[in-house]
Amino acid sequence: MREKDATVTVIIDNQSYRVPRGYTILQAAERFDIYIPTLCSHKDLSPFGGCRLCIVEVEGMRNFPTACTTPVEEGMIIRTHTAQVQSVRKEILQLFLSEHTSSCLICDEREECKRYLGTIRKAGVTTGCRYCPKDGQCELQEVVEKLGIQEIEYPIYYRNLRVEKEDPFYDRDYNLCILCGRCVRMCQEVRLANVLAFKQRGRNTIVGPAYARTHLESGCEFCGACVSVCPTGTLYEKARKWEGVAQLEQVTTCSFCGVGCQISLQIKADRVIGGLPAEDPLVNNGQLCVKGRFCIPELVNGPWRLRHPFKKFNGLEVDISWEDAITLAAEQLSRCAPDEFGLLISSNCTTEDLYIAQKFARVAMGSNQVDSPARLFYGPALNAYLALLEKSVPLAEVREAPAILCVGLDTRYGRSVVGVELRRAMHRGARVITIHPREHNLALTAHAWIQPPPGGEGEILQFFARFTAGEESASPPETNLSSETLRQLARELKQASGVVILVGSEVLHYSASPQILAVLHRLAENLGAGVLPLPAQNNFVGSLLMGTYPELLPGGFSSANEKRLKELEKVWQTEFRPLTNGWNSGNLSAGKPLKVLYLIGEALPSGEPPAEFLIFQNIYPPDSPIRPDLTLPAAAFTEADGTFVNGEGRVQRVHRAVNPPGEALPDWEILCRIARKMGVRGFDFSDVREIHREIAALVDGFQDFDQPPRQARSLTIEGKFQIAASGSFEAKPDGKKYPYLLNAAPLEHVYRGFPLSSRVEGARVIFADEVLHMNPRDARRARLQEGDPVEVTSQYFRKVWPVKFSPELNRGIVQVTVLQNELIGLNPIPVIIRKSHV
Amino acid sequence: MKVEFSEEALQQYKDILQRYPEKRAALLPTLHLAQQEFGWISREVMQYLSELMDIPVTVILDTVSFYTMFKTKPSGKYHIQVCSTLSCALRGSREIYEHLTSKLGIQAGEVTPDGKFSLVKVECLGSCGTAPVVQINDDYYEGMTPEKLDKILDELE
Repeated sequence: MREKDATVTVIIDNQSYRVPRGYTILQAAERFDIYIPTLCSHKDLSPFGGCRLCIVEVEGMRNFPTACTTPVEEGMIIRTHTAQVQSVRKEILQLFLSEHTSSCLICDEREECKRYLGTIRKAGVTTGCRYCPKDGQCELQEVVEKLGIQEIEYPIYYRNLRVEKEDPFYDRDYNLCILCGRCVRMCQEVRLANVLAFKQRGRNTIVGPAYARTHLESGCEFCGACVSVCPTGTLYEKARKWEGVAQLEQVTTCSFCGVGCQISLQIKADRVIGGLPAEDPLVNNGQLCVKGRFCIPELVNGPWRLRHPFKKFNGLEVDISWEDAITLAAEQLSRCAPDEFGLLISSNCTTEDLYIAQKFARVAMGSNQVDSPARLFYGPALNAYLALLEKSVPLAEVREAPAILCVGLDTRYGRSVVGVELRRAMHRGARVITIHPREHNLALTAHAWIQPPPGGEGEILQFFARFTAGEESASPPETNLSSETLRQLARELKQASGVVILVGSEVLHYSASPQILAVLHRLAENLGAGVLPLPAQNNFVGSLLMGTYPELLPGGFSSANEKRLKELEKVWQTEFRPLTNGWNSGNLSAGKPLKVLYLIGEALPSGEPPAEFLIFQNIYPPDSPIRPDLTLPAAAFTEADGTFVNGEGRVQRVHRAVNPPGEALPDWEILCRIARKMGVRGFDFSDVREIHREIAALVDGFQDFDQPPRQARSLTIEGKFQIAASGSFEAKPDGKKYPYLLNAAPLEHVYRGFPLSSRVEGARVIFADEVLHMNPRDARRARLQEGDPVEVTSQYFRKVWPVKFSPELNRGIVQVTVLQNELIGLNPIPVIIRKSHV
Repeated sequence: MKVEFSEEALQQYKDILQRYPEKRAALLPTLHLAQQEFGWISREVMQYLSELMDIPVTVILDTVSFYTMFKTKPSGKYHIQVCSTLSCALRGSREIYEHLTSKLGIQAGEVTPDGKFSLVKVECLGSCGTAPVVQINDDYYEGMTPEKLDKILDELE
């Protein structure tokens, strides 16, 4: 098309405009700030023409066409606000209101009411009514005001539908629904989740999942995209219901997994009241998962947030000043020899916190005993996982790949942003194969779902690897698919070029995982495929780059690298020789008994206190019965500046959106204060920027703090991690004696050592942690009711968990997620199950 | 029971697909075919069609629940539709309907306990010249009176 033809000239309200061809009248008007009322159109959704409010007059056209569905044409003469158009709009809007509870819209007292709402009076006086949580953010309200509707001339028809409150995170009051279809289109077109649809017709029309299922039962991901686009009060967040309109927004990086979504925090009166997806084409592209969308306010605003430092004194906990707390910490730390000190820091912390933490251990304490317990999440598979991280490709490759292989990945709740990319890829014709022992959300949509028993993923990958290496006679393992189908899938993978392999969390925790991941690595090499390991911790890559491990120095260098040590000594102006004696978070007793253990953003280890003096620095007090000797209140990610490095290796900014509660401080600041108190040089940072500058001098990829490059970079890690021995196990226990196979996985949705399910109401429902999942038929055969305590016995342990019926599990398999330091070495492990009578 | 098209229906389905640019466009005729094949559109049928046609089950339900001619409950062996629009109403369709309810002991939307008859009221059947009209399965019975109706029903096995 020639340049001239790319635009057309139209006349809107007697003004001439040049508009790109293919625009609708509404898009043209919006481009030039001409207001046309609408309730059903949305920039991310296809034109719908449902609400009819955007009707305009077009010369030469019969009736009034809807602006949102009529494309512009050369020479079109459009009038948007003629008396007749306005009058029809008002009529249409009144019809809407005849079915929409409208006391908040057309009340006689509205003007007066608004004026007096702000009056400060004593308790007991009602100033104005609050009917609708969307008051002040309701698009219907806005249109009513703009069109100036004063009264409704139609009979009022109240549908009297039950308000649906049974699902977590948001409620639904379809009495307020105007059937604009935004939520339906969002679910079907953008998220490709197809949970919502219109049901029935005429005045019985209602939006909802198929049949009479709840959203939970219908596979809803609780991404909240429908809630965000609802123009009325029909869909609203439970946690944010009466918070009203946000005053500020701050874009930051979500810290609930390694995808690193950009999120727009909603702020009111120095509190985060919500999180919305930010328009970011690099990572999440305007999408979020349930965690980022709904879990933040409850997590960071919890009533038990630590506000002041306190210490244990004569068995009591006594509030102390920061000055005293710093002095106490410095005193205790000063009496430690390097190997009598240990520091554990969460990889949920910012890169700057992580850098300062390892510098603190190495420079202030002269110790190499610093570790991130994220290593325990990867367990024995850690080294194999790091090898995959080195092959990492950006998420955007999924958009181009002709074939995608997913292993142990469930994108329903966590990483649903990746799930959207996968469904989009399928729509454009990519083949998606998923390997997962449990029925998961990809099982329905993927082209092939291969279902091995837990831990059997390796055999399938092994077959693929042999087949693609040219050994076409290799015999496939027995699975739910026929060997011919598996051969066909292997052939497809081999023939496609640019395959991407996604690695989820549910393949990392088997005893055989090191071998499984190694085979996966080989398969990726055979195929020339890119791998996307999706770390569960938002800053796992950052922790590797900052060297918060005994084995690693900043920059991903081995701590045995002499040259690197020399460089660091120069920058840090200290002499430092790291000692690697096998000490790490999985093996706290490897060296000398610890005098001080300093925990930053980590849960307390279970059992006996592992040190004489425990410093606990976090956002909540510990869940464990052990009381730390010194408790220091830290800032959450919404309250501190810094950077995160996501799973693709992108350095992304974290912004302080609100102030920390009480006297809480960012982790780096507390560490620097203690170091200064101890008289150590090199901790005179007054600002996170200065720390970032020091990091930038040492580590590639960190330059401008305020505008990080945000490029995906694959990782290079020198040397291998020491893997804590998981105990010795005899040969596989007898399957006859132990008829069930227990698949135990570490809790994945954790922030700073606290499971989201322990702090967020809705997360408790969807994640069901520390609960034994069991096939309902098995459970009934064992005479169990949902919620019954069940005793699980193996050759090595006995545990009790409540049972939950999970039809997605195959018979004979039970599954549980537990805190990572409570994992059992052999996994999966045959067990006996019986009802507990304790 | 596993819901699946017979060989013959599957062939018809393939012929239907030929007529449309995409699968989704073939949904309505396929639903008619399914109703013919299975008698009514159950959840299992929707699930089957969803897998067969690669269309989300929510979209199928959306369509099925919109159109009144898709039965979402099993009907009797003889599905009786009584026209209740203007011409038939003027010519006595109400008496016909009431006669049927008292004779069969069921209301509109219900099925007799033996599963033989089901009854619904419908809008215009397009045969106003011979009102009142009753449709039993695929056949029209025109110029109905209660007596004629009795005779017809008695002859049905």
